Amino acid sequence: MKKWLSMLLLVSMTASLLAACGSSNSGSADKGGNEAGSGGTKKVVAWAWDPSFNGAALKIAEDLYKKDHPDFQLEVIDMAKTDLEQKLNTNLAAGVKDGLPDIILVNDPNIQKYVTAYPGTFADFKEKVDFTQFSPYKVDALRIEDKIYGVPFDIGVTGMFYRVDYLEEAGYKAEDLENITWDEYIEIGKVVKEKTGKYMATINPNDEALTSILLQSAGSWYITPDNKGNFVDNPAMTETLRVYKAIADSGIAKPVTGWSEFVGSFNAGDVATVVSGVWQIASIMDAQDQSGKWRVAPIPRLNVEGGVNASNEGGSSWFVLEESANKDLAIDFLASTMGSSTEFYERFLTENGGVGSFIPAFSSEVYNQKPEFFGGQAIYSDFTRWSTEVPGISLGMYTQEAKDALKNELPNILNGADLTQSLANIQKHFGQQVQ
Amino acid sequence: MGSKWNKSSLMGWQFVLLPSALILLFSFYPMLQSLLLSFQSGKGTVYQYVGLANYGRLFSDPMFKQAVLNTLLYLIVQVPIMLMLGLVIAYFLNMPKLRFKGFYRTAIFLPCVTSLVSYAVLFKSIFAVDGILNKMLMSIHLIQEPVAWLMDPVWAKVVIIAAITWRWTGYNMIFYLSAMQNIDPSVYEAASIDGASKTRQFFSITVPMLKPIILFTAIISTNGTLQLFDEVVNITNGGPGNSTMTISQYIYNLSFVYTPNFGYAATVSYAIVVMVAVLAFLQLKVGGEKQ
Repeated sequence: MKKWLSMLLLVSMTASLLAACGSSNSGSADKGGNEAGSGGTKKVVAWAWDPSFNGAALKIAEDLYKKDHPDFQLEVIDMAKTDLEQKLNTNLAAGVKDGLPDIILVNDPNIQKYVTAYPGTFADFKEKVDFTQFSPYKVDALRIEDKIYGVPFDIGVTGMFYRVDYLEEAGYKAEDLENITWDEYIEIGKVVKEKTGKYMATINPNDEALTSILLQSAGSWYITPDNKGNFVDNPAMTETLRVYKAIADSGIAKPVTGWSEFVGSFNAGDVATVVSGVWQIASIMDAQDQSGKWRVAPIPRLNVEGGVNASNEGGSSWFVLEESANKDLAIDFLASTMGSSTEFYERFLTENGGVGSFIPAFSSEVYNQKPEFFGGQAIYSDFTRWSTEVPGISLGMYTQEAKDALKNELPNILNGADLTQSLANIQKHFGQQVQ
Repeated sequence: MGSKWNKSSLMGWQFVLLPSALILLFSFYPMLQSLLLSFQSGKGTVYQYVGLANYGRLFSDPMFKQAVLNTLLYLIVQVPIMLMLGLVIAYFLNMPKLRFKGFYRTAIFLPCVTSLVSYAVLFKSIFAVDGILNKMLMSIHLIQEPVAWLMDPVWAKVVIIAAITWRWTGYNMIFYLSAMQNIDPSVYEAASIDGASKTRQFFSITVPMLKPIILFTAIISTNGTLQLFDEVVNITNGGPGNSTMTISQYIYNLSFVYTPNFGYAATVSYAIVVMVAVLAFLQLKVGGEKQ
């Protein structure tokens, strides 16, 4: 009896184990869209983060594409950005391509990294989309050795959001904020702090958003186009770190430690300005009680050669996997919606507040809307105008390594270490990191 | 008789066979594979054999040194504090006259079953610049200006240490408590009759009798601290600078944040293996000498 029982137990255990394996296999195949490919239906699978922004964009594109292709189907699999990146990396590194989607959203600083680390994995869009219709700096990021990998999507053109009430109280008008340098910005900040008691900005030594904005506004980046460290003998880098330290030292910046504190600081009315990407509009508008009090001005510029009052923070693009079963369909879908349709960008802006880099759409009526929240300022047309001024740069493939090397030295810089020596340290550190 | 023994032995083997195969497949095979991987370097899928170059790189890598120093600091400061605290709490909870024992035991054990992420978020908000701790300290006039806890390299480490201690003390306490309950009360009675004070009893009876358990908790805590990841990633994300980054976070960065170099990441993982082995060996030597 005992023997019989234990035998039964063993068999059932094995069976359940195998069953578990089986079901997980079929699950992943379904996600990969392989069934769809062989089944004959025209279905494309996309991975993206942020369903209310990126996912919503895909839905609009699907809607438009379905007008001409009624049997087209799109499945959007939503996951967190870090999960998506981790999943993509592990799948590609393991050489497993079954579980991957047809379309994937890629954060711009990762473009060159993915293309170089996984050669032959992503499809070339060069002949499929007219890239002269897009902001040049977005296309530059996608171009690697005469191939263009993907369709440019949202942009992070920056602006200086400001509280008109605080600045007026301190005695400043809108014109005083046009075409200023960072040193002038700091001076204004000191007056604002003195007269209103409010901080001018926030500062987070653990976040490289500000240094990235400053560098790109002068057409520079942490790394050179040939992927070497760009810290030593780089006037834009030296000036960036000088300005960064000046902001920290001046006492005009409220220290914050993370994203939620950063957003909380302007939603609570603690700061007078926010220098950030265009996508920040949504978070600023979360504070309904501040309606009408916000305006947007161009960002301050670095006082170096080539420094302009426009920059970029973040942004992403759509890639198609070379070995996907529905590669041609996926390419056609992206090219005929996000790659060429003004209607798509009009709807994306009206429905989700997303600003793309498709130039023909900029002349459209919806880009001239004047939101009440921003005192009737035509903010979108301002942002799109600035986006054409953003200097194009090569993001290279080691952006994260370079940022970490900089972060490692940043506390010393803020404590007053010799800047030239610190930059040499960062350069050395970076060199060791990317060997 | 002989054939019956054979049959039952066969049955035993059948039970052991499947788990063994699974352990071989999912545990030992990846270990071997990652050892092989640690002799390769490259980006993503573009690999080449580099021999011991990765191990050479390890010793000149400032980021790795920083991560090891941070991790060892957590280990040296946090583990003794936590184990002492666990021991003392267990001693008080073991007092026969204590009321509401169940409540205290649950309350102290509860942190270690809370979700890692939610407790990290909680600590983050407590130690924020306008968080509750700063407000409390300012209201009792202990500080004038709010302290940016998570932006100072030293305070950020203190916060991490406080967070791990809060979470894992209860876990260790349970081991001590169950061990203490196995100590015969007559030993304490005899000590009392001989005139030994409570403190004396604690250090001369309780601690020596708990020695194997203390050794065990020291080894698992060492092991856990060397693999510390969630707290640091969620509370400070390794910052400010890289002053709270641990070795595990560095491995994660090498694999998923930077241009992926899985070969070098495997090398760093093996560095943890070596450190765990060496420390466990030392602890057994120091703690287990009398066995």
